[in-house]
Amino acid sequence: MLSDIAYSAIRISTPLIFAALGGLYTFQAGMLNIALDGFMIIAAFAAIATAFATGSLTAGVIAGVLASMLLAAFLALFNLRFRAHIFIAGIAVTFLAYGLTALLLKSVLGQDGVFASDQIPTFPAIQIPFVRDIPIIGPLVSGHTLLVYVAYLSIPVVAWTLYRTRWGLRVRIVGEAEDAALAAGIRVDWIKFQTMLISGLFCGLAGAYLSLGYVSLFAKQMTNERGLIALAAIFFAKGRPVRTAAVALLFGLATALSVRLPQVTGAAPQLLQLIPYLVTILAMVIVGIRTTRDNAHNGGWRFDQ
Amino acid sequence: MDGSHLVAMRGIVKYFGDFVAIHDASIDIRPGEIHALVGENGAGKSTLMNLLYGLLPRTGGEILLRGRPVHFSSPAEAIASGIGMVHQHFKLAPSFTVAENIIVGSEPVKSFARLDLKAAEEQTAALSKRFGLDLDPRAVVSTLPVGLRQRVEILKALYRDAEVLILDEPTAVLTPQETHELFRTMRVLADSGRSVIFITHKLREVLAASDRISVMRQGRIVTTRDNDGVTAEQIASLMVGRSVLLRVNKVEAKPDPEPALIIRNLTVRSDRGATAVDGLSLQVRPREIVGLAGVQGNGQDELVESIAGLRRPVSGHIAICGVEPATADPRASRQAGLAYIPADRGRVGLSLQSAIWENMTLGHQNEFRRGPLLRAAAARLRTRELIRRFDVRGAREDTPAGALSGGNQQKVQLARELTRSAPLIIAEQPSQGVDIGAIESIHRMLVTMRDDGRAVFVVSADLDEIFSLCDRILVIYRGRIVGDFDSRTVDVEEVGRLMGGITDGHDGHHADGGTGLPNVAAEMRVGQ
Amino acid sequence: MTDVPLHRTASFSPIRFLRPLIGPVSAVVVAFVIGGLLVALLGQNPLTVYGLLLSGSLVGWANLSVTLQLTTPLIFTGLAVAMAFRAGIWNVGVEGQMLMGALAAGIAGYALPVPAPFHVPLCIVAAAIGGALWAAIPALLRVYLNVNELVICLMLNPTALLVTGYVATHPLKAPGPTNKLPDILDSARFTNYSIFSQLNTGIFVAVALCVAFAIFNRSTVRGFEWKLIGLNPRFAHYGGIRVRRDVLTIMMASGAVGGLAGAEQVLGVYGAFYDNFSPGYGFDGIAVAMLAGNHPLGVIVAAFLFGALNSGSSVLQMELGISKYLVQVLQFIVVLILAAKFSFAFLKRRSPDDRVPPASPVPQSGQSHVTET
Repeated sequence: MLSDIAYSAIRISTPLIFAALGGLYTFQAGMLNIALDGFMIIAAFAAIATAFATGSLTAGVIAGVLASMLLAAFLALFNLRFRAHIFIAGIAVTFLAYGLTALLLKSVLGQDGVFASDQIPTFPAIQIPFVRDIPIIGPLVSGHTLLVYVAYLSIPVVAWTLYRTRWGLRVRIVGEAEDAALAAGIRVDWIKFQTMLISGLFCGLAGAYLSLGYVSLFAKQMTNERGLIALAAIFFAKGRPVRTAAVALLFGLATALSVRLPQVTGAAPQLLQLIPYLVTILAMVIVGIRTTRDNAHNGGWRFDQ
Repeated sequence: MDGSHLVAMRGIVKYFGDFVAIHDASIDIRPGEIHALVGENGAGKSTLMNLLYGLLPRTGGEILLRGRPVHFSSPAEAIASGIGMVHQHFKLAPSFTVAENIIVGSEPVKSFARLDLKAAEEQTAALSKRFGLDLDPRAVVSTLPVGLRQRVEILKALYRDAEVLILDEPTAVLTPQETHELFRTMRVLADSGRSVIFITHKLREVLAASDRISVMRQGRIVTTRDNDGVTAEQIASLMVGRSVLLRVNKVEAKPDPEPALIIRNLTVRSDRGATAVDGLSLQVRPREIVGLAGVQGNGQDELVESIAGLRRPVSGHIAICGVEPATADPRASRQAGLAYIPADRGRVGLSLQSAIWENMTLGHQNEFRRGPLLRAAAARLRTRELIRRFDVRGAREDTPAGALSGGNQQKVQLARELTRSAPLIIAEQPSQGVDIGAIESIHRMLVTMRDDGRAVFVVSADLDEIFSLCDRILVIYRGRIVGDFDSRTVDVEEVGRLMGGITDGHDGHHADGGTGLPNVAAEMRVGQ
Repeated sequence: MTDVPLHRTASFSPIRFLRPLIGPVSAVVVAFVIGGLLVALLGQNPLTVYGLLLSGSLVGWANLSVTLQLTTPLIFTGLAVAMAFRAGIWNVGVEGQMLMGALAAGIAGYALPVPAPFHVPLCIVAAAIGGALWAAIPALLRVYLNVNELVICLMLNPTALLVTGYVATHPLKAPGPTNKLPDILDSARFTNYSIFSQLNTGIFVAVALCVAFAIFNRSTVRGFEWKLIGLNPRFAHYGGIRVRRDVLTIMMASGAVGGLAGAEQVLGVYGAFYDNFSPGYGFDGIAVAMLAGNHPLGVIVAAFLFGALNSGSSVLQMELGISKYLVQVLQFIVVLILAAKFSFAFLKRRSPDDRVPPASPVPQSGQSHVTET
C-alpha cells in the first residue's frame, strides 16, 4: 500500500516537475509565467492528436513540445515586443489554449469533452536491470515510462545550466537587475525569450506526458492547475532547482494520497480532490509568512509585489 | 590637432517627439585627457553621452571613433568598440559577487560554455591591483559601501578594455575624500592613455579635475576650452546664460524655542535588515531650516521614512508638534502636522499616470468633500490656481504628471504639500533632477515657509544646497548625527570630513573601513 | 500589481468621447478577422459562420432574449473584475466567488421560508456575503501576507467548484439523479420576462449596479481614492489613504458582485443550485472588463457583445457543428490585443528612464523632459 502510493507519487509528480523546471527558467529571468497550464494543455492536445494520427509516440511528443514552444513564443512576443503585462497576457494565452483545444477537440477529433482511443500508442514501462531487484527502492524506481525518467534526470541538468554556465549567470542577472544586464551589453529580451521557449519545452514534455503517458486520453482543461501548483513549488523553494523539484514531489505525494484514500476511507471524491489545491495554497501562505516576517523585522511597507 | 581625436561627435541632434533635447552639438575627445562635460540639469549632458554609448538612437549628426563613423544601436556595440560608461545610478546586481558583476556579458568560459569563475576572480583581482582600485572579487555587492560599488562599475568598464570612460555625475554619492580618490583614479586612467569624460554640474570639481571643459546649455555645446585660467564664475554664466551662483537671499533665522520635530534615540533597520539609523536624536524648530548632510546610504532614507510613517522603527520616539503619531502610519504623521516632499517622485510622491489635479488633491480630500461626494470641479479649479501660483510650466490640470519635467513635477509635489498648512516640512533632495531656474524658486519657497513660521528639514546629498539654504547643518554618518553646526560658522571641509566619518583633523578610521588614503596612493604608484 | 490595466486619461480633443473606443473596437475587429481565418482553416465559410452568429443572437425576440439572458451574468462578473482591476487588484477568482454566491442563494432560496417580499432580497444578500467571504481569502492573504492574489484566486476557482460540488452531491443533495440542491421556493424566484429564455429581473439589477458604480467611481471620494490605489499604491499610502483596509474592502465588494452573478443564475435561470452550472462566466468577466477598459458602463456594452457571441455560438454548434469554444478563443484574442495596446500607452506615459521618453513633452516650457540619470 505505502509503496504503491510512493510509486504513484513519482508518476503523478512527473508533469509537476516538468512544469516547475520550465517555470524556473522564466522565474529566474524575472518573469512570473502564469501560462504554464496553457502551454501544457496545448501540448497535451497536439501530442495525443499527432500520436493518434501517426501511431508514433515520438511524433506525438515532438508535436506536443513544438506546439507548447510555439505558444510560449507567442506569449513572449506579446510580453516582450508588444509590452503586454505578463499577467494579462498569460491569462489570455492560457484561456486561448483552453478554448482552442476544446474547439479543435470537437472539430478535428469530433469529441465533445473527452477523447480516447485504442489506436493511441502507449509508452512501455522500462524495467531497469539490477535496480529493480533492490528491495523496497527497486520497485519504486523501476518500471516507469521514459518521460518519468527524463523528468527526474532533467533536474540536475537544469541546475547545471542555471548555476554553472555563462548563460545561466546571464539569466540570473537579468532576473535580478535588468538594467545591470542591459548596461553590460546583454540582450535582455533575447535572454527572456530563450527562457520562455525553454518553459515551453518543459511544459511541452509535461503536456505530452499527461495525455500519452499518465493517461491515454485528452479531456478539456485536463491540466487541473498543475502549472499553478508548479509555480507555488517554485515560490516555496525560492527558485532553487533541486528544492523546487523536491517540493513538486511533495505536492505529488499529496495528490497520490488523495487518489488512493477514497478506496480506504470512503470519503467524498471532491473533498479528496481538494487536497492538492489546499496544499498549494498552504505553501503560498507559508511563503507569505516567511517574507512578511523578514519584512516586518525591517519595518518597511511592502504592498506592491 | 584634428588627427588626435579619439572621439568626435559632430552636429548631433536628438529629438524626443517634438522636443529637441540635443541641438547641433559637437564635441571632441582627445586620448589621455579628462574632459569635463558641464551644464545644468536638463541641459542634455546625459542624453548626449547616452547617444555616444548607444543607449539612445540619435536623430542626426555623426559620431567618429578613431576617425571612423560609428552607429551604435546598443551599449553592447559601444562596449565592443571600447566605450565604457559608469551611470549615476549604478547598474549592478546586488546579490552577486564583485567578480560576477564585472565579468557578466563577456565572461571567461571553460568547455561546454561553462562559466570559469576562478578565472573571473583572478582577472578581477589583477585588474583592481593594476589600477589601484582595491576590491575583494568575492565580496557580494550589496554588502559594499557606495564608494566601492563605484569602483566595481569602473572596473567593469576597464575589464572590457574601455578606452573612453564616461562617468555620469560620479561624485554625487561620494564623500569629499572619496571624491579625491576618484580624481586620482581618473588621472591614473588618463595617464594610461585612456580618455575620461566627466559629467558634472559642480564647478569646483570641474576646475580641480579636468584638462578640458565643455559647457552645455539647452542641448548645445556652447564652448570647449582648456582648463587654465578659467574661473568658476565664467563657467557658471556660460552654463546658464546669465550669472547665477546659488545664493538664497534670506534674513537671519530666529527659531521659536518649542521644536516642531523631536526625535529621540531612534533606531531603524534598512530593507536588508541592517541597522540604518542608530539611536539617533535631533530637533527641528519652527522658523529655521535644518539641513541633514551625509553621503547617500547613511540612514537618511530610513530616518525620513520613519518620520513620514512609511517605515516602522525598531525603537525610539518621534514627536511631530508635540504629538507622537502611531508608528508606520503616514496618515497619523500627516495629521500630526507633517508635510513631506519625497525624493522618489515617481514611486512615492506622485502618481505619474494620474492627472495633475488628482496628484494635487491627494491629502486634500476633506477640503473637497461633500458627504461621500468629491467636488471634483472645485478640486480642478484649485489645481489650476496652484499651477499658476507655483509656476508649473506647460501643464493643465488634466495633464498626466508623468509628462512633466523633473522640475515641474517637483513643483507639483511642493504645491500639494506646502498648501497643507502643516507646521513641519521635510524636503528630501529638493533639487534632485531639477534645473537651476527651478532650484532657485524652490529654495525661495522653502525660505518663505520658514519665515512663515514653519519648521523646515532638508535632506540633501548636495553640500552646495545645504550650505546655501540651511540655517543649521546636521551631519549624519552611519545612522548617527556626528555634527551640529550653525551654517554661517562652519566650512565645507569640516562637514565633508564628518560625512566621511573622519573625526576632527585626525585621519581616524575611514568611511567604509576599506583603504585609508595613504594606502591607496601607495598602491596607485605600484599600479603605474 | 500596480500595473493592472487601464485608465484612459481624459483628453481635450473634441473627439474625446470617441477616442477611448478606438482601441476596443479595433481589437474586436482584429479578433474577428483572426477568428475568421481559424474558421476557414476548419473548413467553414467565415461569412456563413459570422452571419449565423449575428442572426442567431440578435434577430427576433427569441434570439435576442437568449442573448440578454446570457448577457446578464457577464455584466455581473465583468463589473466584479473591473472594480478590482481599477484598484490594481488581480481578482481573477470571480468564477469561484460566483459559485459560492450561487450556493448561498440556493440554500437561502429553499431552506429559509421567508415571506415573499423579503425572500429575494435575503437570497441576494446571502449570495453577496458568500461571494465576499470567498474573495476575502485572497484579499486577506494579499493584504497581510503579501501573497500574490492572482495565483490564489486561480487556485480557489477549482476549489470552489469542488466545495460546491460536494455540497450538491452529498449533504444537501436533492432527491433524484441530478447533482443539485432542492428547488428554491417560488417566493425566492426572479420574474421571468421571456417565454423563449430565462431572461429575468437580474438584468435590471446588473445594469443598476453598473450605473451605481459609474457614479461611485466618478463622483465620490472613495472612488477617487480607489483609483489612486490602482495606479500607485505606494503614493496612496504616502498620501494617507488606508490602502490595506481599502484593498480588503474593494476585493470583498468585487466578490460580492461576483456572488450576485451566482444569485441571478439560481434565482432567475435555474431555480436551484446545480453542480457545475457555470460555463465559465467568471473567466468571461475578465474579457468583459478588459474590453470595457474597466469602465462600469463599458461593462454593459462588452457583456452584451460577448453575451451575443455566446448566444449565437449555440446556434453555430447546432447548425454547423462548430464548438461553442470558438467564442472563448475570440474573447481571449481580444484580451491579448487589448493588453498589448494598453501597455504601449502605459510605458509611454510612465517614462521610467531615458530609454523611454515621455509621450507628450511640452515644448513651450522650454525645459528638458529627459531627466538626467
